[in-house]
Amino acid sequence: MPSAVRAMGSAAVTGRSGVVKFTNCLLVKGADLVQEDLWVSSVTGKILNGQEILYGHLTAPDDIIDLGGRILSPGLIDVQLNGAYGFDFSVIPEDGSIAYGKGVQQVNRNLIRGGVTSYLPTLTSQRTEVYHQALPYLGPSGSTRDPILGSESLGAHCEGPFMSPTKNGIHNASVLQIPQDGIASLAICYGPSNLTQATPIKLVTIAPELPGALSAIQSLASLGIVASIGHSEATYEEAKLGIKAGARSITHLFNAMKPLHHRNPGIFGLLGTASSSISKPYFGIIADGIHIHPTSIKIAYNAHPEGLILVTDAMRLAGMPDGVYDWTNGSRIVKDGALLTLEENGKIAGSSIELIDCVTNFMNWTGASVPMALKAVTETPARMLGLEGVKGSLQEGTDADLVVLDVLEGAVGDDKRVVVDQVWKFGVKVHDR
Amino acid sequence: MTRLIIRDDPQTASRYIADYIIERIKTFDPSPERPFVLGLPTGSSPVLTYQYLVQRHKAGDISFRHVVTFNMDEYVGIPREHPESYHSFMYKHFFSHVDVRPENINILNGNAPDLEAECQAYEDKIANVGGIELFLGGIGPDGHIAFNEPGSSLKSRTRVKTLAYDTILANSRFFGNDLDQVPRMALTVGVQTVLDAREVVIIITGAHKALALQKCLEEGINHMWTLSSLQLHPHPMIVIDEDATLELKVKTVKYFKSIEKVATEQGFRQMLPRIKKRDSVHEEDDFLSAPKPQRNGLTLAVPAQDMSRSASPALEPMSARISGNEANVFRPVDLNSELQFGPMSARVAG
Repeated sequence: MPSAVRAMGSAAVTGRSGVVKFTNCLLVKGADLVQEDLWVSSVTGKILNGQEILYGHLTAPDDIIDLGGRILSPGLIDVQLNGAYGFDFSVIPEDGSIAYGKGVQQVNRNLIRGGVTSYLPTLTSQRTEVYHQALPYLGPSGSTRDPILGSESLGAHCEGPFMSPTKNGIHNASVLQIPQDGIASLAICYGPSNLTQATPIKLVTIAPELPGALSAIQSLASLGIVASIGHSEATYEEAKLGIKAGARSITHLFNAMKPLHHRNPGIFGLLGTASSSISKPYFGIIADGIHIHPTSIKIAYNAHPEGLILVTDAMRLAGMPDGVYDWTNGSRIVKDGALLTLEENGKIAGSSIELIDCVTNFMNWTGASVPMALKAVTETPARMLGLEGVKGSLQEGTDADLVVLDVLEGAVGDDKRVVVDQVWKFGVKVHDR
Repeated sequence: MTRLIIRDDPQTASRYIADYIIERIKTFDPSPERPFVLGLPTGSSPVLTYQYLVQRHKAGDISFRHVVTFNMDEYVGIPREHPESYHSFMYKHFFSHVDVRPENINILNGNAPDLEAECQAYEDKIANVGGIELFLGGIGPDGHIAFNEPGSSLKSRTRVKTLAYDTILANSRFFGNDLDQVPRMALTVGVQTVLDAREVVIIITGAHKALALQKCLEEGINHMWTLSSLQLHPHPMIVIDEDATLELKVKTVKYFKSIEKVATEQGFRQMLPRIKKRDSVHEEDDFLSAPKPQRNGLTLAVPAQDMSRSASPALEPMSARISGNEANVFRPVDLNSELQFGPMSARVAG
């Protein structure tokens, strides 16, 4: 912990250490809720080793936060968020990219109140100009470690446009592309400067059965970008080749792909693979009660519990009144409560759910414990993104992005509801309900 | 005299000790200039006591802000953050939950470059804060206190100690059953270091400690049962559960129970006169503000008025006393009728 030590040394001059201790709380650790204290530094924004602080630095906490027995979890991570609070990451405002950048910042500040402390801003399939203009604003935003900025982008999620024209969902079929020349095709589409080592892109959803896709997946992996299989007609065998090429994940399992067939299990079959040459991929699940039947979620969870990642796939209409709204590429979306459909063909058009409500749904539908459900929005997505030790856990040295949660007993039967009481970013409280 | 407090189970025994310590600290009314100096053990016996102390701290009943702590011992050569280190034990069970100031925590450093110097410095540190006010301890099944295993000098002070092979074997379960991982040495306060404390409180629970308790309480002072040295201390208290009494004579158990019962009936718990005495000590400011380095037990002996207030016979003459008085002591009717004639101290003195 050299950085924490240094920071504390300088803070000692001012008489405050910046050390905060949470007590009387249940820490989410693996599959358990553990009654333990948690020490964090508001100076370094990281989780501390309390014992080392006490004995090694003779430092007592500045503040002791008594959480009254509530749950303290790592902050939530959403790896698929298309927009929120009236802002759509895929739409460049008419007044240009400056306004776009401000819009992103606005989303960040609003988003964190729901407990989402980091996320992947997600672009649906777009014309190349949109990528060129938008991506520079969507890259990792946490380098200044400023809690005031709100939720932190971990990099962009490019959902398309390299996807199957028959599994396009609500993506505009006219902008879809084929990665004929592998990574070169992707570079032309996303912009060559956006596919360098310092790329703003963290994850690309791609259909592995397309010509050139396997080679593109290999190149993405070498750039440190996660390739995720989705919007695809892939058979089980094609999907397996995608995993062998380096894909680590499946984008919103069940949606925009072939359903499980007993003679060809399709992409879903990857969750049951007995193959020793590939490991089971991570997979996103939209637990909004509209996209997938609860039982299907339970089946997927039973097949590969360590891989399940809850995502919202939410878009900008979340929280807006019911009605018909303009969408991208001239389409229109009908919002009826939580249900969003495309006006022209009635297809499901993303969701308007909050991530914490996905956790609640998931718990009630699968019988997963609170810590196991939270794992699907913290530790598992962090591991999928290669950010273990940085995000998604309460281990020493991890960023002190935290949520204080309360579990309310539901009125009906055994149903429970998880609510976000407080949000901490980089060791500083940024929201209190 | 030795106070032996017997409770039904480890829970109530531990709670008694926690309450006792809290009352002692409160009565002491410590300040930054005059901190309460507390000696602390590790091991399974005190875990519940720490739990109750933490509970009452969190309930706002007690602050440890002006308490200085000294731990009994630490292994040599394992990292401070090792889960089996006594640093880790104390962090986990006590220090991480209470407001003891980090700079007031003293635990021997088993990784010090010069272990001898570390031990000497520890003794000096204890002396410099005016000695230990209350030393809490437990014992091993062989009657050892801290790492003062059988045969330790009863005059011993803080030092490096080689562990007995049995202890190493017993400890291997904490180190993945790998004998090579078990520390071979420890730093420990000496028997005399403990005896120098103004008050010593020992927790003993469980049938497996019963023989050790019997040896230390009913038999003579013997370096093979190092806790027996407590018989030399002017103010020891041993708190035990029923299981720990299994090897004691019935009359020993009844005797100590009767003492506590009578004391309660007389309207004072056994601790109360002691606390008054501590107050009287505090009035002698120079006693605390100018502590002398402790080189033997005598410098920290409680002042003479302490001794004179000793309300009951000490352990040694007990058998003699019981044989003479047992009809009175062990027959409740006689006891009560006798009590009508005067206070207990008068009766005992007679």
